[in-house]
Amino acid sequence: MMKHGMEGCPGSRMQDFSKKSADAKEETGKRGSQLGQWPIQLHLVSPMAPYYQKSDVLLSADCVAYSVGDFHKDYLKGKSIAIACPKLDEGQDIYVEKIKSLIDDAQINTLTVMTMQVPCCAGLVAVAQKGLQSAKRKIPIKSIVVSLQGDIISEEWVQ
Amino acid sequence: MEEYLNTPIKEIITKFPKVGEILEEYNIGCVPCKVGSCLLKDIMEIHNLPENEERELLRRIAQVIYPGKKIEIPRIERKNRRKAGDLTYSPPMKKLVDEHVLIKKLVAAIPKIIKNLDPESEKGREVIRKSVDFIRFYADKYHHAKEEEILFKYFDENLDILKVIHEDHESARAHVRAILEGLDKKDKGKIAEHLMAYHELLTEHIKKEDEILYPWMDRNLSTAQVGELFSKFNEADGATDKEVIGNCKKFVEELEKKYKIKKEAVK
Ligand SMILES: [Fe+2]
Ligand SMILES: [Fe+2]
Repeated sequence: MMKHGMEGCPGSRMQDFSKKSADAKEETGKRGSQLGQWPIQLHLVSPMAPYYQKSDVLLSADCVAYSVGDFHKDYLKGKSIAIACPKLDEGQDIYVEKIKSLIDDAQINTLTVMTMQVPCCAGLVAVAQKGLQSAKRKIPIKSIVVSLQGDIISEEWVQ
Repeated sequence: MEEYLNTPIKEIITKFPKVGEILEEYNIGCVPCKVGSCLLKDIMEIHNLPENEERELLRRIAQVIYPGKKIEIPRIERKNRRKAGDLTYSPPMKKLVDEHVLIKKLVAAIPKIIKNLDPESEKGREVIRKSVDFIRFYADKYHHAKEEEILFKYFDENLDILKVIHEDHESARAHVRAILEGLDKKDKGKIAEHLMAYHELLTEHIKKEDEILYPWMDRNLSTAQVGELFSKFNEADGATDKEVIGNCKKFVEELEKKYKIKKEAVK
């Protein structure tokens, strides 16, 4: 059963889907991490880091990795990553600059932006688009939107 | 039913012509296809109909093959199944679709060019020569080369769907050669015949690519491959003479004005 809070920002409205995870089958075995770098927070990373050069970059909203069950296997694998929260982080102009530098200096191949379905999270796609607009190079940007329960709602190229 | 899913479509249509008619209703043009070696299940994969439409189509085909019998229609699992009505492209594919627009404009003008065909006068020959220049440079060198030399390399060239597309490109080239021969001999009939054949071929060809080939390719390309294609296309464009591209666009605009081609003619 989902319990909905009464009102307020949909991004912070309380919802309980614990029953869903309790019903799930017990999993066995261990999975290795697909993370191939450190640091990962967008303020902390340098676009000049070797792991970004010509790579496919995943720009993920902070909450995404907690929500998507197969995040490592299906989305992080084979990519370099940067994470950020478009709702709470300060200095987002710096984020735009970093994206621009990833595109122009690190010459990244693609940028995949993963966000939660809550409206404020779309701000991260806007940051990525601003970075692309100010860059000299052009690259394809993909936007993947994730539901609160970790399902993929949409996956499309941003034109 | 499983057996027929693994049978080449030409065999099925030869045995059961009605199946061809049913496919036509779903805009799947296997009847006029010259190759026809695609398996029925591959056709389902390539055309990627919405799930309920696909089941209905298979149910109708089963009725033709096994009249009066109740046949279990296998459920075909597929990721990225198309939802009704949506047709979106990755940025490199979008680029090719956009290039088709200018080619479609020229193709739409061809019937008017034929109507006013005059290989006897210098002015009349110029229109034919310029149309051929457009086809050779823009449609073939600029556009088809991106398909053949870059995009298709990401796929197995022995796939039937790619063989069909390749064959179309070759036929188009043959029509252009024939048009030029006709021009040399001032053979009005020959020029008209091959201009019309080019018109018909390219109309179908572009539709095939926009609606079937490119969406299928997009479903099979990884994110990294999409990025690679995008930069390779940009590189190829960078190496192209901008002035010639500009002239191609100008020529098509002139044709549209001269023959009053309506915008609706080119969707
Ligand atoms: Fe083509
Ligand atoms: Fe094409």
